[in-house]
Amino acid sequence: MSEQTLKKPVFQLNNIDLFYGDFQAIKNVNMTINYHEVTAFIGPSGCGKSTFIRILNRMNDLIPSCKVTGSILYENQDAYDKNFDVIELRSKVGMVFQKPNPFPMSIYDNIAYGPRCQGIKDKKVLDEIVENSLKKAALWDEVSDRLKKSAMGLSGGQQQRLCIARTIAMEPEVILMDEPTSALDPIATQKIEDLIVELKQDYTIVIVTHNMQQAARISDKTAFFLLGELIEMDDTNKIFNHPKNEKTEQYITGRFG
Amino acid sequence: MKANMKLKNRYDKIASTSVYTLGFIGVIILSMIIFYVTTTGLSLVSWDTITGDSATINTNVYLDTGAGNYMPDEILPEEIFYSETWGIGLIDTRDREGHPIIEIAYLHPESPLLTSLDKNNTDEEGNPIEIEIKLDTAIEKAIFNNFTSFAFLTDGAEVMRDQFEQATSISDLTVQIVGGGIRGSVITTFWMIGLTLILSVPVGVSTAIYFNEFAKRTRFSSIIRNLVDMLTGVPSIIYGLLGAAVFIPLLNSTIGTGGGSVLSGALTMAVILLPTIIKSTEEALKIIPDDLRKGSLALGANQTQTIFNVVLPNATPGILTGVLLGIGRIMGESAALIFAVGAVIKDSVFLTERSSTLAVHIWVIMGGEAPNFELAAAIAIIILVVVFVINFIVKIFAHQLQKNMNWS
Repeated sequence: MSEQTLKKPVFQLNNIDLFYGDFQAIKNVNMTINYHEVTAFIGPSGCGKSTFIRILNRMNDLIPSCKVTGSILYENQDAYDKNFDVIELRSKVGMVFQKPNPFPMSIYDNIAYGPRCQGIKDKKVLDEIVENSLKKAALWDEVSDRLKKSAMGLSGGQQQRLCIARTIAMEPEVILMDEPTSALDPIATQKIEDLIVELKQDYTIVIVTHNMQQAARISDKTAFFLLGELIEMDDTNKIFNHPKNEKTEQYITGRFG
Repeated sequence: MKANMKLKNRYDKIASTSVYTLGFIGVIILSMIIFYVTTTGLSLVSWDTITGDSATINTNVYLDTGAGNYMPDEILPEEIFYSETWGIGLIDTRDREGHPIIEIAYLHPESPLLTSLDKNNTDEEGNPIEIEIKLDTAIEKAIFNNFTSFAFLTDGAEVMRDQFEQATSISDLTVQIVGGGIRGSVITTFWMIGLTLILSVPVGVSTAIYFNEFAKRTRFSSIIRNLVDMLTGVPSIIYGLLGAAVFIPLLNSTIGTGGGSVLSGALTMAVILLPTIIKSTEEALKIIPDDLRKGSLALGANQTQTIFNVVLPNATPGILTGVLLGIGRIMGESAALIFAVGAVIKDSVFLTERSSTLAVHIWVIMGGEAPNFELAAAIAIIILVVVFVINFIVKIFAHQLQKNMNWS
């Protein structure tokens, strides 16, 4: 990967405002997210970071009262254009949720779900996708002998890695993670963090986290949100060592939030 | 403070005692009903009753020769009156409707009656047709020796046996296959269950999916939902009126059923079940975590794929519960079906003709001048057993489905 592709933006967001009915949850945010970087969103509860990450794969569409304005370019295309295929967007921009949400079916069927919805029926192709995805999600060794067993029998950490594998199966460009480790114990969290660093080679990752150490450990860029505004976004090093904004410094040093 | 505590304790005691007492009364009452039904009807519950004809069928036979001396191979019980001349053993008993009958309880293996001749029909060349008299059939009347002696069922088995003993020929023997069976009603009931479910489940499940997954929460949709809730509580006789006023004329003008029919009954039952199935499906859909829907949509599945691949499979146990309630309702429904199916007990069932389900059968046999408690209780037992068995099967099925989907 050359230096130049690294700097190419996958998402360009300009003047984003988001309303839930009359309430403005996101206020005039501008942001660029680059290929093959881990971008972390931090900020106190209710600051809009989870709402903001859902703009990226248009999951906010599911909330009837939600309205988004501004320009959102995914690979230089307007992601909120009427002609833009939201199904296509979601298969390119995968999402992992806070609580592990495997489907109540077998491990195999969980991974094959996305490709099957795209119309892939060939068993050989599916087998390959399942194996590769589970390997990439560092879960293959643990589950290869019980692929036909229910995914509900896995531990929380395994379930979350299964959800990551499920997303990988779609061969996405971007993986969004909304507090993926907040429901997990430290050991499972460690595994997910290792996995994120690993996945950075192939995917662009955007992660919302409450855990500032986590952001510091795994991300390349960090964005600090407060009350719906993007206060500061820069290289993670700079944010944690030399924040420009006073509020960022106060939050990072634990004076509020 | 202390006095307060004492008072509180006393109230608690009264409350718990009344719960125990009332609960006990409830259990006792229910057991008594089950006990009454079982003791009254159990003697009539048999495969013969279930598969038997409702109508009594008479056959007339004669025998000019054959009188001999047939000694029984075994020692017969005292209540069987045996005629050695003809090799036939008779017993006084009662039929399913409670009337006294004389039943053939024993036939000698070489008895001439096994090859009796049909009195009413001959074959093409005018030769008599052989008819085999069977065990457990009844003899209504017997005329012997060229109409010079006779015995009727009112005479009892002993008198009839004596007549048999003295007879040298049998001129006219009226043999009955005793009726009172419920085969037609059993068949109608199963038709009713099948047709009703085929009609109502797809519509009900689709309606619930529409309300829960597609429809926006507007004032209009909430009014419709409340209406559906309300319809669950409407007495079924009102639906019966609907069946009589809408479905019977409709079916009559399209396929010419005349009056009520199994089809119009199934349509009526389908309308009765719709609210129940919509409601139970909606409940099943509601408890499916939104996380699953989001997970599916985030993987690039569209809404239809999400509903059919993730939502519906997980709602199946709940939907099955609704279906189960529905089957119970169909088996137990009488008021609406008296209108819609007609209350005619039949042995051969046609979908376009009147018939009766088991519950309606009870209504019919209890409605006459001499209510037949035994048969009614026997049918009640059969209904209970069928409901129990279906319950059991569906529960096992639902449990199997639920095994690999215990999210919490």
